[in-house]
Amino acid sequence: MQKVITINLNGNALQLDEDGYDSLRAYLAEAAARLGGNPDALEIVRDLEQSIAEKCQRLLGPGKNVVTTAEIEQILREVGPVDSTAGSYHVPPAGTSTAHQPKRLYQIREGAIVSGVANGLAAYFNLDPTIVRVAWVMAAVFEMMRGDRPPVMTIGFYGLLMFVVPYAKTLEQRAAAQGAAQSLPYKLQHAVERVKAMFGGLHPRAH
Amino acid sequence: MNAPTIQEKFASIRKGLLEFLILKIIASDKVYVADMLRRLSTTEFATQEGTLYPLLSKMRREGAVDYEWQESDAGPPRKYYKLTAKGKSQLDELTEYWAYINQTLDNVGQG
Repeated sequence: MQKVITINLNGNALQLDEDGYDSLRAYLAEAAARLGGNPDALEIVRDLEQSIAEKCQRLLGPGKNVVTTAEIEQILREVGPVDSTAGSYHVPPAGTSTAHQPKRLYQIREGAIVSGVANGLAAYFNLDPTIVRVAWVMAAVFEMMRGDRPPVMTIGFYGLLMFVVPYAKTLEQRAAAQGAAQSLPYKLQHAVERVKAMFGGLHPRAH
Repeated sequence: MNAPTIQEKFASIRKGLLEFLILKIIASDKVYVADMLRRLSTTEFATQEGTLYPLLSKMRREGAVDYEWQESDAGPPRKYYKLTAKGKSQLDELTEYWAYINQTLDNVGQG
């Protein structure tokens, strides 16, 4: 005897054996993880769910209303693991995954105040960009006080980085700026929230 | 360790060519994913939904293909894929380049 679990798979009600349910859940979790930085991840997972649901429904009929563990596992083998590298022209060497891509230093425009240098440094070192900006301003103030002159070095260094550090233009570059662990939607949302918080904090004082 | 088989040696080439084949299939007919899988299933390029959906979404992001929902006789509406103008010119370029590669393969080593 097996416990049966009823699920909603992309709008299709299905009954699965408990073990089969666990297998399906593991497959979908793995699929979502592999599609981490993919902007169409949600849509791809929905398509996969729909395919799986249709394959299940083909097995069901008047005298059969539960998909067994063996059946769902066969279906998952047919659908195959999500290949997030499909369409790229190199096969990643065994043992590497996108989750361990090296981080790279980029300027990040989203949420930038000047050019995105502080934003990029913050992403690279996993810091809050505000801290990087505050440190920059403090360095400038310190330089002015020490040298009794405009903060040429501090601003010059920013200018240098502006010219030398590339912009994160493609989705891949933006992911690499953060390390791929933080997916782009997460990062963008985060950046938007930071900017909102910053302006939200400034407005009351401006009035 | 055994020497890799021919199939293994060509794995990355097959993988790269899959996009070319998908363009060709979509150019020939308005198809949905199950059609594409069926047409490839008897070939060296047999593949699975887990590979095809991410590939198609990438091709759509690049503007080579697009889809429209269409009611089906049995079951829910399906995504039918078609080539865009950009996809057509991509296919033409690929076809030409592929012919060029084949020509090179035929001619190389013939004095």
